[in-house]
Amino acid sequence: MSASGTGLGPRVGETVERFELEKAWLVDPVSGREGAGEIVVVDGVLESVNWLEGDEAAGVDDRGVVVAPGFLDLHVHFREPGFEDAETVASGCAAAAHGGFTAVALMANTSPALDEPGVLERIRLAARASGSPVEVHAYGAVSAARGGEQLSAMGELADAGVLGFSDDGAPVKTGRLLRSALIYAGMLGRPIVEHAEDTDLTAGAEAHEGYVASVLGLAGWPAAAEANAISRDIAILADALGDEPRARLHLTHVSTAAGLELVRRAQASGLPVTCDVTPHHLAFMDEWIAGSRRWAWEALGPDGAARDPWADGVLTATPYNTSLRVNPPLATAPDAAACLAALIDGTASAVATDHAPHTTVDKEVEFGRASNGISGIETALGVLLALVDAGKLPLVRAIAALTSGPASVVTGWAGNAGSAAARPRGLVEGAPADLVVFDRSDSWQVSEGSLRSKGKNSPLLGRLLPGRVLLTIAAGRLAYEDPQAGED
Amino acid sequence: MAVSVTAEAKPQAPVAWRHRHLIDLDVVTWPEIELIMRTTAEMKGVLARPIRKVPALMGRRVTTLFYEASTRTRVSFETAARNLSADVVSVAPATSSVTKGESLVDTIRTLEALGAEILVMRHSVSGAPYLAAEIFGGHILNGGDGWHAHPTQALLDLYTMREHLPGGDLRGRKVVIVGDVLHSRVARSNIWSLTAAGADLWLCGPATLLRGFERWAGAWSAGTIPGHGRFNVTSDVDAAIRDADVVMALRIQRERMESGLLPSLREYAARFGLNAERVSLAKPEAIVMHPGPMNEGVEIAPDVAISGRAVITEQVTNGVAVRMALLYLLAGTHVEGHTEIIR
Repeated sequence: MSASGTGLGPRVGETVERFELEKAWLVDPVSGREGAGEIVVVDGVLESVNWLEGDEAAGVDDRGVVVAPGFLDLHVHFREPGFEDAETVASGCAAAAHGGFTAVALMANTSPALDEPGVLERIRLAARASGSPVEVHAYGAVSAARGGEQLSAMGELADAGVLGFSDDGAPVKTGRLLRSALIYAGMLGRPIVEHAEDTDLTAGAEAHEGYVASVLGLAGWPAAAEANAISRDIAILADALGDEPRARLHLTHVSTAAGLELVRRAQASGLPVTCDVTPHHLAFMDEWIAGSRRWAWEALGPDGAARDPWADGVLTATPYNTSLRVNPPLATAPDAAACLAALIDGTASAVATDHAPHTTVDKEVEFGRASNGISGIETALGVLLALVDAGKLPLVRAIAALTSGPASVVTGWAGNAGSAAARPRGLVEGAPADLVVFDRSDSWQVSEGSLRSKGKNSPLLGRLLPGRVLLTIAAGRLAYEDPQAGED
Repeated sequence: MAVSVTAEAKPQAPVAWRHRHLIDLDVVTWPEIELIMRTTAEMKGVLARPIRKVPALMGRRVTTLFYEASTRTRVSFETAARNLSADVVSVAPATSSVTKGESLVDTIRTLEALGAEILVMRHSVSGAPYLAAEIFGGHILNGGDGWHAHPTQALLDLYTMREHLPGGDLRGRKVVIVGDVLHSRVARSNIWSLTAAGADLWLCGPATLLRGFERWAGAWSAGTIPGHGRFNVTSDVDAAIRDADVVMALRIQRERMESGLLPSLREYAARFGLNAERVSLAKPEAIVMHPGPMNEGVEIAPDVAISGRAVITEQVTNGVAVRMALLYLLAGTHVEGHTEIIR
């Protein structure tokens, strides 16, 4: 990297006065353009984006230093207020910036739940106090105290600027409440962001029902649990639209082939439903619980069926690692392939991390008693770049899934027209610099020390991931700088 | 290590025991299972003596930690340890600080600090012994975890079958396990050992209690699992038992009706219970097994349980011998300088 700005000077939160990057690979997911180029940031503004042609571009390719717009994560848990030993807004923002994210949307399952504007105000104060320039957005709860009985203070929350409403961690409890919520939130120009799970089918379940769970003696979580919930949600959306045409449904962390197919069909019939997939459902599988650590795309047989990890002799890690306990559970290689196919054909608009940090107290327990969730905001880019390296996903599509893709989802929610989260996320000259610089020729090791999140519950601990993030600038201010930058 | 059962009973082991823990049989090779079988035979020799005690584990510390109520398995392990002259500490979580919310990890660290060397553990959650093995400096011997594994039961089952089959050879012998396969750690561990032994294994029960096993059997049907053959899954109990060499019943629990998996115990007994008529479909010399405790009149008829074919009390005796063998083998595994195999 030939940055005249190495040893930038500014600390996190300070305006980047001058940063120049020559001969890097620029990716603009909004125009779809990628190629050799140079950027200059002056006083926090992206002063110039200069695409190089011909001889000037010689020696620059997409395998080295890459510049992309800052990432937007539609689904994170920063645990504040209530669970500050697992994560805080400050530690979450530091983790986000390390992962290349400049904007995040926080889920409402805090304690107290984010069901009235006071809690949102508290989160905003924490974000301001952190000094991080990462944009902190939030969803309000659908129901008061996420109890699934009464609506939250939806109107006041919308006035205060929530992006939408979600009882994530659990589905909206009843069809009756979901119908009201879709209509009322639609009136406010906001979506219902739904965690699709039939909790009756998943009572006591520990792992995706199938071969691996059978061998490991783990209670099966049927794929029908997601499909059944998505069917309910889509049917109720179709009904609610008759009363409120602005009703919107976003299904988060869709994880199974059956679930994604239902979304695809609903979209084809014209229903305003969007969805996202997670990095872990794209890349990990249930066989990791048995000790496998190969990527999901390495576990597909030539016929598209899952290969057998016992036959392949790939069970190298200790089984029942609780960092793999997640909701929805890790499924099979064909399900992961379906997540990728949905991302490529546009059924899924975005990759969202469902970053779910937990303390060791909640994870250093028996598998079936561990809290659900993976600390994933810092490893999302590396996982997507592993897909790119394997030739499964073009680089520009991987970047789009983290930038223009999630932005387009927010743009579809009319009430957020003025929100910073609805920016299209391209490389725009003259706008505040909001970008990430990472080096595809360099890797980094995931470790308890390298993760900025308080949540060390990552199944990738010890693993080398491609794409070291060198610099993250959010709204013209320094969000993250690689500690090794400038030491060469 | 310098222990010997007796001069003549010292195991002649062409295969070295290399496992630090015994949690499941998935990582135990057939030659290692044969080593366990030979060592068990020597321990049975000890049990045949008037004084059933040898000094092999003199001064070694064995702790039993049973999170699930189990009289017979715990007593079997403790008897095995005492027969080897080990010092035995028995931790009953109902009367320990576990009831005050102490985590498994804290409990294991405490027991290690108190000097536990070999920890015999039973737990209701699948995989719990792997968590214990991550932090425990000694040896873990799994006494049953959740639905996952019960390796000493599978090994005593195997030993008992070998005693009754010509040449102790299970290759091609039809073994049928009937009952609540879905919730059974006994069935799961038996799949590993019996497919390694080359048996013609059949798992049988109501379809609701076989869920997932069709897929497992399908995955193994290609014969691609190193060291393990294929097995069969069926709800046709008569076809499963016909010409069997071994018929094993599994315990049916009342909770299965409450969770909607079975209409009634009466219907189960009628359709899947081992009664005399059904058992007569097996070979004339077939043996009938049960891991206990039995629900007589449900999964096994009282007359079958006490018939000449039943080897249920032999299983109990062999259980002590198998557990002596495993304690002996594990105690001889030095923590330093050997290949550590947790999985």
